[in-house]
Amino acid sequence: MRTTTGKTTGIPAQRPPSETGGDPARGRGRRAGAPPRHDAQRRRMARTGWTYTAPSLAVIGAITLFPIVFSLVLSFSEVRIGYGGFVVERLTLDNYLALVRSSDWYYALGFTVFYTVVTVAAEVVLGVLAALVMERLSASRGWMMALMLIPWSMITVVSARLWAYMYDSSYGVITWLLQNVFGANPLILGTPASAIGAMAVADIWKTTPFVAIIVLAGLVMLPRDVYESAEVDGAGPWTMFWRITLPQLRPTIAVAVLFRILQAFGVFDLPFVLTGGGPGIATQSLAVMGYKVLFQDLNIGAGAAIATSTGLLVAGACLLFLKVFRAQVGKEDVA
Amino acid sequence: MSARDRSLLHRVFSPVTLGAVVLALFTALPLYWMVVNSLKPVTEVGAMPPTLWPGEVTGDNYVSAFVDQGFGRYILNSLVVCLSSTVVVVSLATFAGYALARTPMRGRGPVMIALLMVSVYPPIAVLVPLYVMAREVGMLNSYPGLIIPYVAFNLPFAIWIMRNYMLAVPGGLEDAARVDGASATRTVLSIILPQVRPGVFTAGVFTFTATWTEFLMALTLNSQDAYRTIPVGIALMGTVFEVPYGMIFAAAVVVTAPIAVLVLIFRKSVVAGLTAGAIKG
Repeated sequence: MRTTTGKTTGIPAQRPPSETGGDPARGRGRRAGAPPRHDAQRRRMARTGWTYTAPSLAVIGAITLFPIVFSLVLSFSEVRIGYGGFVVERLTLDNYLALVRSSDWYYALGFTVFYTVVTVAAEVVLGVLAALVMERLSASRGWMMALMLIPWSMITVVSARLWAYMYDSSYGVITWLLQNVFGANPLILGTPASAIGAMAVADIWKTTPFVAIIVLAGLVMLPRDVYESAEVDGAGPWTMFWRITLPQLRPTIAVAVLFRILQAFGVFDLPFVLTGGGPGIATQSLAVMGYKVLFQDLNIGAGAAIATSTGLLVAGACLLFLKVFRAQVGKEDVA
Repeated sequence: MSARDRSLLHRVFSPVTLGAVVLALFTALPLYWMVVNSLKPVTEVGAMPPTLWPGEVTGDNYVSAFVDQGFGRYILNSLVVCLSSTVVVVSLATFAGYALARTPMRGRGPVMIALLMVSVYPPIAVLVPLYVMAREVGMLNSYPGLIIPYVAFNLPFAIWIMRNYMLAVPGGLEDAARVDGASATRTVLSIILPQVRPGVFTAGVFTFTATWTEFLMALTLNSQDAYRTIPVGIALMGTVFEVPYGMIFAAAVVVTAPIAVLVLIFRKSVVAGLTAGAIKG
């Protein structure tokens, strides 16, 4: 790209020699009859645009794109750890072949997808319910919103330690409640099924507000008159919710779901701190497995393959979603 | 009066009120538990059955978190890293967002999509290269070593936010400035920027919250005690055999309260940001 010098902005509208390549002055033909001076202006603005964008793109390219590619290369490499760091020995498919044969990886993949589906579904249902409740509150709505923003803004590590304390088998308040109200004697974080459930509850507590607030903002913007005419036609609240509210909220909910799914696929902080991925590997997400293989087993090639598989999962979900979303809301300016 | 009583009764026991109470309790009780246990003496934090209110309210946990554990250092580290990252991100995003929204530069669509993809790529997938790069340039356990990746990973979303706000500014403002002979940069800073102040707040609050809570990169790149940020400090407090929950919660209350207050003050920006990302993005 030609515009990384950063000082070209002040140079007035002389036609730059390199401009002849792609975009002839009438290129997009948006304004057919525009005078030539307008085109020069336009081109100068376009150059300014690249100058303004270049620093950001340079940082993003160097610190995110380059590592993404580097990581991809590592995942296809046999890596040896030496004193001065690690050395790439040769290119190989072994890391991926090992993944495909590893039951731990299948479990982590399955767990990550299962956990994502369950928590996101629960958060959407509860978030919509919470938004419906909040919409009907009058004076207390602001307070409720404020309260719900606290878990959302909390450091995940902090909430994970808080829930770990409440679940603790010897002095946790939830353990105590289960013992005294239900007569159970649970090892909440010590058995696979309950550890997964416990982790989901902690996630739901922290993230439902995110969904609720987005949905509430969408709810508030819905036009009133539709409801009034529906009421005249004798529609009950149930019908109105399913026939009017939900369809109109669909784009809002869709985006909340996308954000949540992408986050949940990479889930790390919560299992790492709450359960350490245990008991055994019961709550070991792909990211936790990748971290352990990379930084505890120091198995760089295999770890990179796991990490790349996580990235592909996320990128695939994102692309799929964009496609569906664009098809649905064709006229909206997505890009 | 009885009709009014009945309507009051109806209001109190309506599904909405019930739902609101459940919602408030579910959200608030864990927070209450965190605060209460930060105020209990160490023996009471580990008591069974748990006590709903401290038998004796004490500040011991706060003292041991800040004096014995040196938790203030982690707060300082977090403030340095997060504030620097936020300032850099917002500055770069203002110009990039302006360019993508209001100039006819080519390739805007692909750039926006690429930004979106990068902003959702999971950090775990770039961690080893980042670690190697930071080590090569001697930036492991340093402030810039964390600030630079934080900037890179939070820029895309901030650019999206700024772009969306810039799109909403009425057109023609630049033309007037240009007629007056202002340079492009001057136009952005003194004409456009004041129009998108809510966007700056939103991008700022988001970047700050995201970096303030970030754990994985901080754990990997800055694990040495002197450079730990708050999440790393809290995650590594205690040993396998003994977890000092009182102290952890004291630290947690101190770092959660200011952010909660900030979020309350900037509530409108936060909600706007959540929904701008959602509805326009």
